[in-house]
Amino acid sequence: MAEKHASTIEQIKDVIYKSCLYQDDLEWNSWLDMCSDDYHYAIRAFSPEIRADMEYMGGGLEYMKSLTQMLPKHNTDNSPLKRHCTVYKVEVADDGKSASATSSFVVYQTMLDGINSHVDAGESRLFLVGRYNDKFEISNEGVKFSDREVRLDTRRLDKGSHWPI
Amino acid sequence: MSARNHEQWTSPPKLAEGEWVDSRIYSDQTIFEEENEKIFKHAWIPVCHESELKDAYDFRTMTIANEPVIVVRGKDMQVRAFLNVCPHRGNMIERRPSGSFKEGTPSGTPKRMTCMFHAWQFDMKGKCVYISRQEEGYQDRLCTADVGLRELKCEVYFGGFVWVCLDDDIGMTVEDWAAGALDCLAPSLNEEPLEVFHYHKAIIPCNFKLWHDTNCEFYHDFLHYHNRITGFNDAYFARKNSGFKNGHINVGSFEVQYDNYEGFHSREELSFPHLPPNHWYMIDMFPGVNFNLRGSALRCDLMTPLGPDKVMIEFRGLGLASDTPAERQTRIDHHNSIWGPFGRNLHEDLLAVTAQGSCMHPSAEKRNILQGRHENETIHDENGMRHYYHEWGRWLNRSPSNPDEEFDEALIAAASAKPAEVQANA
Ligand code: FES
Ligand SMILES: [Fe+2]
Repeated sequence: MAEKHASTIEQIKDVIYKSCLYQDDLEWNSWLDMCSDDYHYAIRAFSPEIRADMEYMGGGLEYMKSLTQMLPKHNTDNSPLKRHCTVYKVEVADDGKSASATSSFVVYQTMLDGINSHVDAGESRLFLVGRYNDKFEISNEGVKFSDREVRLDTRRLDKGSHWPI
Repeated sequence: MSARNHEQWTSPPKLAEGEWVDSRIYSDQTIFEEENEKIFKHAWIPVCHESELKDAYDFRTMTIANEPVIVVRGKDMQVRAFLNVCPHRGNMIERRPSGSFKEGTPSGTPKRMTCMFHAWQFDMKGKCVYISRQEEGYQDRLCTADVGLRELKCEVYFGGFVWVCLDDDIGMTVEDWAAGALDCLAPSLNEEPLEVFHYHKAIIPCNFKLWHDTNCEFYHDFLHYHNRITGFNDAYFARKNSGFKNGHINVGSFEVQYDNYEGFHSREELSFPHLPPNHWYMIDMFPGVNFNLRGSALRCDLMTPLGPDKVMIEFRGLGLASDTPAERQTRIDHHNSIWGPFGRNLHEDLLAVTAQGSCMHPSAEKRNILQGRHENETIHDENGMRHYYHEWGRWLNRSPSNPDEEFDEALIAAASAKPAEVQANA
């Protein structure tokens, strides 16, 4: 089975890594262009405090587009976020029309203007630890994200962020 | 005069006493310690919500003024609070943030709180029920009846929040303590059971009062594009700030125009009970608690000061326990879009207080922090902060504008009266 879909699996890994680079570079339009029309994005975490699954951000493609388009209107922490992501598992459906993938990531924040830039700018800090649980639609036009769940381990989120992870 | 020299910069502003505070109240180690001792150890604190302890034997742990606290639900379904400290050698009894005592632990049996160190056991009422090798070690000198847990005052009140007070002699109920400040939201929160759907925490390098101030003043709408575009109209500027006894305040309501922000929609369908559509009330309680109801979602902030320039803020989001999954998802979306850790406003607020904190670290020079706006006690009036610091001054017996001096009730009362010309317009 794995052999049958070997090239699709490689293609999916490439798609995930490419999307990470777009997100790292705040190229939101290019990032969302990799998503299908019925795409859904969510950041979730389990809270051992309230013993429940929680959602910290979520929405469909239109919502994500308006969210990213509105960013320039907002005051934000502009400290760059960079992902280190490893795709651990890709599973392609028998018919080859859909797939899912599990990746592990950490996000580093390199301080710019979030605290006192004279002191902190240039320092890299671990910002988030988690996993991407992705789903894909595969057609003749290629591979598109149909769903992304960002599963965070990190729950002490301090200032948080305006940027999708 | 344009830019000012050091003397001009540090002289008292051209405002009345009580209309500014000295920045050292946000950075001084001694004041921070006094706040813990004199305020936080004597106030009612809403440490969690009852939905976090749904079943008998469920527990939650937390800290008030550096004291470890545990809240448990007994077999009788009553919620009780104790110091989370073992009477034997002072170990923390329960280390997890939450859980159930229904299951046993490596050192103990089911349905008991067990201290893992030497396996002393306590029931849900705080009674010690087991001392390991009791007779061998204590003979008849000490028995379980002598070593119960320290029980704390505890009430479930206001939509199911669990309130704890470290002071046995506070002499008032939560209702007395609130002094009417909770009334504006009580019908909406007490109609049916609520449920927590969101929890996250932030540790921010600033004084806890800077976060409370931000929750008390709306003049910082200029920080939030969202507030300006969905708010600014006549009804918004008529929103009233009102002070209550014990330093609490309310921010009155108006109808938010959510549709004005790209991608946002009316919250009318999921309004909390008795709340007019898209209305928005806010309650700020002394010394560091905020309840914020925006139509369909309730937020509660609880501040735990960790140092003069360090605060932990716990954020909770709540909906109705009766929500269908679809209703709950919508409430969560509404909550997160503004208040989530990736939401529009919360990040902006936290950025701003972080930047304030950067200017008010413990060795920074003293500055005058202005809170002298008078606008008939409406939304951009700073009377909420003035009301808070009046109370703060009383509790610490320090003048907020000169903390080395004693609090002068008469002086501040005179200044908190509205200026004549503003009163004439009221
Ligand atoms: S310290 Fe708790 S049993 Fe000894
Ligand atoms: Fe704000």
